[in-house]
Amino acid sequence: MILDANNLPDDGTLRADVCIVGAGAAGISMALQFLGSGIEVLLLESGALREEPDTQALYAGAVADERLHSPPDRYRQRRFGGTTTIWGGRCTPLDPIDFEARDYVPHSGWPFAREALLPYYPQANQLCEAGDFSYTAAATFRDGGRPMIEGFESAYFSSDTLERFSCPTDFGARYGQRLRSASNISVVMHANVTAIRLLPAGDRVAALDVRTLGGKRLQAHAAHFVLAAGGLEVARLLLASRDVQAHGLGNQHDVVGRYYMCHLAGTIGALKILKSPGAVHHGYEISEEGIYCRRRLALRPEAQRAQRLGNFIARLHHPRVTDPAHHSSVLSLLYLAKPLIPYEYARRLLGDEHASVRTWFKHLGNVVTGPLEAIAFAWHMLRDRKLAQRKFPSIIVTSKANLYSIDFHAEQQPNAASRVMLDSAQDALGMQRLRIDWRYTPGDVDTVTRAIELLAAEFNRRGVGRLDYEPATVEAEMTRYGAYGGHHIGTARMGSDPRVSVVDGNCKVHGIDNLFVASAATFPTSSQANPTLTVVALSLRLAAHLRGLVRAEAAATAIAGPPQPDGHRNPIAAGSPV
Amino acid sequence: MTVRVLVLGADGFIGSHLVGSLAASDWASPIACGHRARAGGGADPIARLQFDATNESALYQALQTADAVVNCIAGSARTIADGARALVAAAARQSRPPPLVHLSSMAVYGNVTGLVAESAPLRGEDAYAQAKIAAEANCGHYSRAIVLRPGIVYGPRSRQWTERVARWLLAHRLGDLGAAGDGCCNLVYVADLVTAIAQCLHLPGMVGQVFNLAMPQPPTWNEYFVGFARTLGAVPVARIGRRRLKLETKLLAPPLKVAEILCRKAGMSALRLPEAMPPSLLRLWQQDIRLDVTRAGQLLQLRWTALDDGLRQAARWCNQRADALNS
Ligand SMILES: Cc1cc2nc3c(=O)[nH]c(=O)nc-3n(C[C@H](O)[C@H](O)[C@H](O)COP(=O)(O)OP(=O)(O)OC[C@H]3O[C@@H](n4cnc5c(N)ncnc54)[C@H](O)[C@@H]3O)c2cc1C
Repeated sequence: MILDANNLPDDGTLRADVCIVGAGAAGISMALQFLGSGIEVLLLESGALREEPDTQALYAGAVADERLHSPPDRYRQRRFGGTTTIWGGRCTPLDPIDFEARDYVPHSGWPFAREALLPYYPQANQLCEAGDFSYTAAATFRDGGRPMIEGFESAYFSSDTLERFSCPTDFGARYGQRLRSASNISVVMHANVTAIRLLPAGDRVAALDVRTLGGKRLQAHAAHFVLAAGGLEVARLLLASRDVQAHGLGNQHDVVGRYYMCHLAGTIGALKILKSPGAVHHGYEISEEGIYCRRRLALRPEAQRAQRLGNFIARLHHPRVTDPAHHSSVLSLLYLAKPLIPYEYARRLLGDEHASVRTWFKHLGNVVTGPLEAIAFAWHMLRDRKLAQRKFPSIIVTSKANLYSIDFHAEQQPNAASRVMLDSAQDALGMQRLRIDWRYTPGDVDTVTRAIELLAAEFNRRGVGRLDYEPATVEAEMTRYGAYGGHHIGTARMGSDPRVSVVDGNCKVHGIDNLFVASAATFPTSSQANPTLTVVALSLRLAAHLRGLVRAEAAATAIAGPPQPDGHRNPIAAGSPV
Repeated sequence: MTVRVLVLGADGFIGSHLVGSLAASDWASPIACGHRARAGGGADPIARLQFDATNESALYQALQTADAVVNCIAGSARTIADGARALVAAAARQSRPPPLVHLSSMAVYGNVTGLVAESAPLRGEDAYAQAKIAAEANCGHYSRAIVLRPGIVYGPRSRQWTERVARWLLAHRLGDLGAAGDGCCNLVYVADLVTAIAQCLHLPGMVGQVFNLAMPQPPTWNEYFVGFARTLGAVPVARIGRRRLKLETKLLAPPLKVAEILCRKAGMSALRLPEAMPPSLLRLWQQDIRLDVTRAGQLLQLRWTALDDGLRQAARWCNQRADALNS
């Protein structure tokens, strides 16, 4: 069922077996695993069905350097469905190498290998509505699919791996009805968790403080608590809960909020492919299940090890949209349509520099000189993106001149100095706001610089093309728009050593028996992959773990006798459904 | 000695499968009873009768030659209810009342959700469900009845859940429906249903039982549609949005249905017309009802056909049929 905290009695108590904070990709995926299980689940969500400015403002905070990181209330959504209400839907799993401890990537290594996630990835893929868990062209397409660039074989780069695209699925809209009709799951909207209260011994969570912007105060009691509030907010909640542990929860060694990673991304160079335009296919293919799939140029794991570089992928991309010198009516049309494109997408696609009137007219000139292409493109965007349920994922412009740029997406190394912390300013509920100090390292610049260098050399060596770029500009390009928005990784990292990690291999906060985290916050390293598919897979794994725990406890209780009056099985406080 | 089984509705989808299976067995011989005359009956080794299954005296006569009877009558609500009444009356008048396997439907449960066992109240409200409930009530008056409540029966020769769905998938009118296809699709492969019927006749102690029938790990409707589309080669599978489905079921379905009826009245073939997608299907595809098949699993000793195998057989039949229609 779905309730509204504003309709619940003030000072009321909510009870469940498992309490999950946050109804985004992680929280909703987890809750669905308890459908029909008989385990009572409470899903506390700050927002409601639509974006509400007051609630979204609770995400506001400060950044140390505005050029390097977007404001904290951008690139995340505080509402039912979380940031999946605006995500792009690109899905790709982590690679086996991402889980390894690599001596050339400081603080690398997960507490388990990729095999531990393999049982959960296929279902995660289904929940993201990205079809089969099949991430190579060879395995996906009966005929092997069209090559990205005919005749391009490289010992350094593989173009066989795929990214698949979700609709993109808004988890709230897609799965809300299933949660609403479940008798053992209670979603409570407008329920802001403001603090996690420990028992005096400090080894268990007693309850969560829940508040509404309308002034209601509630408490949530459960046997197990899961923080699924997104990669930044998880750290904020842990740091802000200081009544028993003075530095915040799981933070005895000052690790919470540190090692904050996004991805290193940008667009660079002019790539001239020395083949016929028909030999290049840099766009999408559709799999049998109807999923848009796209090849990438992935730096092979052997090459990463040999070259001591982080993980890296690149795609063939259109020239920079802002510069009318591309003479493309399609790209200029996009430029002119900027006011219609959401901020989070317009920033990287179209830049945020202010354009002169002259530039604007040059773009208009491009459109006027190629009206048919522009109209065909507008129609394609309307039919295949705006009106379609499964949206065409991005702008693909085929160049008659065979001219492209390189769009890259690379792993950022864990770095203790890159961090989020609490600011002195408070939000409307009296909680300290976040302050973000994202930093990158020379190792990060090295990964991108040398991977691009290798790519250029490979194009050259194989005679397929020429990549012209200025090596000295790599760092500037990879930080042109700052940290890649929306990927909030590492702030409550997983590991077996509490001195350098916050949660263990089961995503349980070190030293606290019943507090878990489901989020990219737990990733010890960032991979080249966009995080959500793995966030969902990890959430499914955690849900399976919790189901096991609850069952074992129920079996133990059955032997030991009925639960205490303060047990977890009482129904939650009554309220009117929304 | 073989058991002589009178199969009512032998021309229909399930009846025809049952007749074939009994004829091939070494323990039973079918007496196929339909309402349509058969062409070229000379070479047909199967005993066939032709009469209206709501006709009690004809039923009484036919039962005289049979050891058991299976009611696979489909048709209008009236035929279903009247047929069951006549059958029970005719069977009860036999000197040795035969066991009667009655094919009911999960429709009797109505629009409930969750896990539904045989003991659940029968709340179906539409005319079809009401007729099925009335028919079951009649069986309740007969001491030797066994009632089967299958879910969605699919497989070769299924007009409703195989051929029609295939046509919609090939036309990309169906596909992955998102939240609108999240309901549980309680599939039963037709051969499994036929085996269940045979077990009801074969195993001791079945008389008086009621069984839900569906594969134990049923897919969602989306999984059924996507899996079937891929097996048929109706790819890439389309994503059908809510707006499109509403258009199909609310706006397009009524005129299509009217056109179909007019064609039929005018003696024209309605085959070329796209088939209407009634709004009731939209409700079914979202309904999260799951048949509890524990009892069937325990007592009928069934081995369920895997979904992939069932889909392959269904698709092969669809392709053969399309070839036959085209040539
Ligand atoms: C523009 C954009 C494009 C993206 N594209 C991609 C992509 O292509 N591929 C990809 O993998 N990822 C992408 N992402 C990232 C993706 O959106 C996130 O990885 C994903 O949403 C994370 O899921 P989550 O459940 O951890 O957090 P969220 O989805 O952000 O959900 C967190 C939930 O917690 C709630 N919450 C927060 N604080 C509290 C509190 N105190 N009390 C109660 N509830 C609270 C929030 O309201 C929210 O509902 C993109 C992000 C953006 C912004």
